[in-house]
Amino acid sequence: METLDFTLKPEAAAKIHEILMCLAKFSDTVAIEARRERLSFTALNSSKSAYASCSLEGKTFFSTYECRPKDSAPDGRFTCSMYSKALLSVFKPRLDDARGKDTAIDRCEVSVQDRPDKTECRFVVKMVCNQGVTKTYKLTYESVEILHALFDKNAAKNHWSISSGLLREYIEYFGRRTEQLDIYAEEDRVVFTSFTEKIANGKEILKQPLQTAVAVNVSDFENFTAQERMHTIISVKDFRAIVLHADTLKTSLNAHYSHPTRPLQFNYTSDGMYCEFTLMTAGDYVDTPPPPPSAAPVGPSRTTSRGPSTTTERSESRSFRQDMPPPPAPTTRTSATSARRLGNSRAARKAPSPVPSEDSESLFVGVDEDTQWDPADSRNDEETLGWDASAENDAGMYPTFRDSGSLARVPAEESADGVAPTQRISQIKGLW
Amino acid sequence: MRFKASIQNISIFTKLTASLNSLGNFAWVKLSDNQVCFTIIPEQGTQVWAVLSIDSIFEVYNIQSAANNVVNLEVPLASLTSALRSALQATSASIRLTKKDNIPLLALTIITTSSINPRGAISTTGSSQEEGAFGNGYEESAFGRERETIVTQEIPVKVLSADSVSGLHEPRCREPDVHIMLPPLAQIKGISDRFTKLASVGAKAGAGLTAANAPRSRLELSANMHGCLKLSIRTDAMNISSVWTGLTNPELDPSQVQGGEEGIAEHPSTRMKALGSADGRSDEGWATVRIDGRDWGKVMSVGRLGGRVIACFCHEHALILYVYLPNDNEGEDESVLTYYMSSYSA
Repeated sequence: METLDFTLKPEAAAKIHEILMCLAKFSDTVAIEARRERLSFTALNSSKSAYASCSLEGKTFFSTYECRPKDSAPDGRFTCSMYSKALLSVFKPRLDDARGKDTAIDRCEVSVQDRPDKTECRFVVKMVCNQGVTKTYKLTYESVEILHALFDKNAAKNHWSISSGLLREYIEYFGRRTEQLDIYAEEDRVVFTSFTEKIANGKEILKQPLQTAVAVNVSDFENFTAQERMHTIISVKDFRAIVLHADTLKTSLNAHYSHPTRPLQFNYTSDGMYCEFTLMTAGDYVDTPPPPPSAAPVGPSRTTSRGPSTTTERSESRSFRQDMPPPPAPTTRTSATSARRLGNSRAARKAPSPVPSEDSESLFVGVDEDTQWDPADSRNDEETLGWDASAENDAGMYPTFRDSGSLARVPAEESADGVAPTQRISQIKGLW
Repeated sequence: MRFKASIQNISIFTKLTASLNSLGNFAWVKLSDNQVCFTIIPEQGTQVWAVLSIDSIFEVYNIQSAANNVVNLEVPLASLTSALRSALQATSASIRLTKKDNIPLLALTIITTSSINPRGAISTTGSSQEEGAFGNGYEESAFGRERETIVTQEIPVKVLSADSVSGLHEPRCREPDVHIMLPPLAQIKGISDRFTKLASVGAKAGAGLTAANAPRSRLELSANMHGCLKLSIRTDAMNISSVWTGLTNPELDPSQVQGGEEGIAEHPSTRMKALGSADGRSDEGWATVRIDGRDWGKVMSVGRLGGRVIACFCHEHALILYVYLPNDNEGEDESVLTYYMSSYSA
């Protein structure tokens, strides 16, 4: 019999929301792995070129944490996976905001119901709100084997760290539709270039997204020890997701890599949270001198790499471990195949929606709002004039019109977020 | 062929390209010794011919070409706008024409200093808000200058030959019946957008159509020579209109009108002065045009520039808007954007 129970403070629940937001940019499903002393959320993208993991320390991150896996071995674990969207609809934004009337909570209790004598296996999340309201969500999950990416830190001779806030500023410069990011260091400057592979000539050239190069002083880094004149290429989308998440924690971001076509790792820590992202890289191989011979032989050095999968070596290992997929052989100057593969990862990037002005129903355009000057898009916010079908029958027999524009936009799913029934309908039938 | 300039007024340049972008994706940009022209000729809808003095956007300006120092480019406006937007906080920005892998591009170089203290991230965890704010401010003054970041935005462009643009001419139109200074465009846009929406909803509800294939709504714009402007929309179900009064009808300058004083006496607007009234209630004296509601919304996008706008009405024929860029220096060449809209028949 397995037990997994933990309680979260509102701030911690909000952090889980941020983690899920970040992982959802890598994959549709998020995997959960619980051990005696920590819980981790992981995601692997469909092309297996990017792996993301956030581990939460049982003692520091949670108010209470208890995990007793079925497997009595010291490193036994409980693993499952579920849709990121399902979990995201439970861990909504602003869980820690006391002013948010609908979403603010007092605490969050999570337990896993996984007993053979019960008919249902569910991941149960209880949001205990103020005023005695409790929202209970029962989510289905899939019992899965979790794949972890291994990263050989000993071979990754290049590393740097930088404030996530600065990186956040840099990614703002990148063009919306660019796909790849080239990291290149030369003479006290590090250049981050976002670009898209060349499209055909002719009129198409003008449709090519902006290519943006951000040149940063090495002195802006907290530390920088990396080989110069080497192009390392990753996906802009992944980078953006990582930086945005790191920035929510106001932490600094560390990068470790060896040479193009080998994995690159970003990691950062914050108050009982350890996040790491292992990304496949492409790059210009010709410009790169061959990697210096690694001090330790490859085999043993793998096992010394940090990460959640390191301690499982001797266990009977429920979850199967797999190394990052082998890098594509560097074929020509520009390893176009691998670069394209990176670009292929599902594009679910969403532009932050413009903050609506305070009085969006004002008759006149606000003078300071630059976006308000854009042509009105009638498809986006429909202003419909319809019959009043609300329950307020004060108007009696008189047919009334009402501007239901704002009402019509209340998403249907929100109504389902109310208190889940805690009683059987049969029990309360007497009321009618 | 050479073009290099430092940008003096990034905000105006950005607003300009953003306004133009709402009407078309690509602009013909003509750079010459004394002016910069932006022209949008969409397949359908409003044409824009903008003529800007060099000083209104550029500072140091350098142009050279074999063809009388004129460079013609086709520029994707969305890319140019987002590149310029990223320069809004810059300490300096310059633009130049260059080539990479045989593709011509406009390279926008932005020098910016970060507002974030690069080492602040370590200490702020756990410290109170005020402490963090103080720390940032302190660091800023001490190390602000060292943290210069250089951002380069590369916009792919197409160089147009002189021949390929020689066939493009600014539209010509007969003398207008009414010319009038428009009220702030924020007011007009607010009302016209609302009218257009209501009309499209009304049409949809009536015929059970979706927004995409609903008949396009036609805004009716009228003005008289007594300071009145009327904006109305008419559908089967409704008829709404808004009237402004007390606007200015600028006097014609005899030196600008063909035939001088005599020309003015015979000018159509002089005849229109005899008709209509200043309260806008008279049915006479109106010059009217019908414009597609959505197209008008796109034109109104130019309101962000905040310039004076003079509308010239050719009754049942065309509407021409002259948008003057705000200009502090009297006597300098004025920069003007000209919008040509033809009227739909009733």
